Amino acid sequence: MSAGARLAIEEVNRLHAGKIRLEQVPFDPKGDLRGYVEGAQYLLGELGLKQVVGCYTSSSRKEVLPYFEKHDAMLWYPSHYEGFETAENVVYTGAAPNQHILPLARHLLGQGRRRGWLVGSNYIWAWENNRILREALTNTRGDVVGERYFPVGETELEDVVKQIIADQPDFVFTTLIGSSLFAFIKQLRAAAESAGIDQKTAFPICSCSLSEAELPFLGEAGDGHISSSVYFSSIATAENERFTSAWDAQFGQMGRASADAEATYLGVHLLAKAAMRAGTGAFAPVREAVRGARFAGPQGDICVDPDNLHCWMRPRIGRSRKDGTFELLFEKPVAIRPDPYLTWTSEDDDGQAADLRVIK
Amino acid sequence: MRKVLRNFRGLRALVLQGDVTGRDKLLQTLEKLGLNAEAVAHDDATPDLIDSADLIFVDADEGIDPIFGEDSLPSVPIIAIIGNEAPSRLSRIVKVRAVSHIQKPVRSSGVFTAVLLGINEFAQRQRLEQQADVLRRRLSGRRVVVKAVIALMRRWGIDEDVAYQKLRSDAMRERIPVEEVAARVLGAPQNDPTTKNRAGSRE
Repeated sequence: MSAGARLAIEEVNRLHAGKIRLEQVPFDPKGDLRGYVEGAQYLLGELGLKQVVGCYTSSSRKEVLPYFEKHDAMLWYPSHYEGFETAENVVYTGAAPNQHILPLARHLLGQGRRRGWLVGSNYIWAWENNRILREALTNTRGDVVGERYFPVGETELEDVVKQIIADQPDFVFTTLIGSSLFAFIKQLRAAAESAGIDQKTAFPICSCSLSEAELPFLGEAGDGHISSSVYFSSIATAENERFTSAWDAQFGQMGRASADAEATYLGVHLLAKAAMRAGTGAFAPVREAVRGARFAGPQGDICVDPDNLHCWMRPRIGRSRKDGTFELLFEKPVAIRPDPYLTWTSEDDDGQAADLRVIK
Repeated sequence: MRKVLRNFRGLRALVLQGDVTGRDKLLQTLEKLGLNAEAVAHDDATPDLIDSADLIFVDADEGIDPIFGEDSLPSVPIIAIIGNEAPSRLSRIVKVRAVSHIQKPVRSSGVFTAVLLGINEFAQRQRLEQQADVLRRRLSGRRVVVKAVIALMRRWGIDEDVAYQKLRSDAMRERIPVEEVAARVLGAPQNDPTTKNRAGSRE
């Protein structure tokens, strides 16, 4: 995320020199919730900043949100998340649930994969994703074969792996994160191999958070996984060509550019655009200026929804390859409206399934 | 366990509140949740407007009179907007049987929870009331049923179980409550075929 922001800051300062100059004040909360509060107090309270880009987990966002409201400041939140929030002090530049979780459910059902095993880390992202997927499955004659949660960081997953091999589901949906995710994928692949099962085709591992940033940690087990995301580094646009070359040149050692990096990059560009339009970096004018703002980003044209400050984006489904990138399987031909409360889309039908286009 | 209602698209929310800080935020948030929201000061709300609402927000801080009279309590979920927590304010909320509340200053977060709790709690309350109605009817019918059972026992010289079975099977065949059959047995013994048969056999 930080790298994506730095790329965008350099670009803005180069392209719009004279009109705007962005200066970054880095603060690292070190993934600790208290660190986020300290960061908010420092950046907003002591320094009086009005525009902050950051936060990855929903819990960190919820933790700092009261400070942003108190200090009239804007948080540019660059992560896809489970939805059910529309704060006036947040611009959400990652996918909303109708843009990644529901399209994945529909993709799997469309493939006739109806029996799913759900494995997740024990927190809100996993619980809410699994709820949405469970409803999508049970509303359409599908079935949740099993569901297990593990503490974040847990890597002893032999039991659940054994159970999945025994149950032979149609797919495995995982919301595990970090080291748990890496351990799970490697163990499941190995166990399937020794059982003589081709895991990639028998029960692919599906996720809404597996990105290019994780693939280097999976070694030989990195290919054949299904991911739902609005961005993959393999998207063929001129903007993405430029973005990924700049990324590879500066941050290539971190793996290929990922959805979180791109969303942060978008956030900084949108911030710059809104600030230029408003003629100030103050909170309220920038917020009003960003409503409806458009930007031609690496993933394609996006637009900030004037009502809920999430972005119109195109859902995509990719399958991971050995080279650390994703092959695109499906994409919506147009950007769809963000629906954070799933008010306009339901778990089993959004009336848009018909225009999913097969591109490969 | 019933399904939790959580999509409120198209519901009409009426916010009974003067033009105070936070009212627009509440309306905007409701609109984002897919409801059709309208605000009007409580004194300007017409009965038609209140009747057409699916959900009503009331401001506990405004006014001294009861929010709704006991006889005119709308039969929809009522959600309280609470600023001052003084007992005089809160008692007005208790009297309208508010199902949930939001606290001032109104923020966008919290509104979804209040609506979701309110609508589900109200639905649950309505189901309980319907069940209570059924039970009340049954209870008040018990006396009639007991009298009918005794009447049949006397007329036919049968025992209590057979008499009750007779009432039940008539009710099931005609698909009417057993209380209704019982009332018929008691009200018009001459027209009751069972009475006729009994009378015939006696002579």
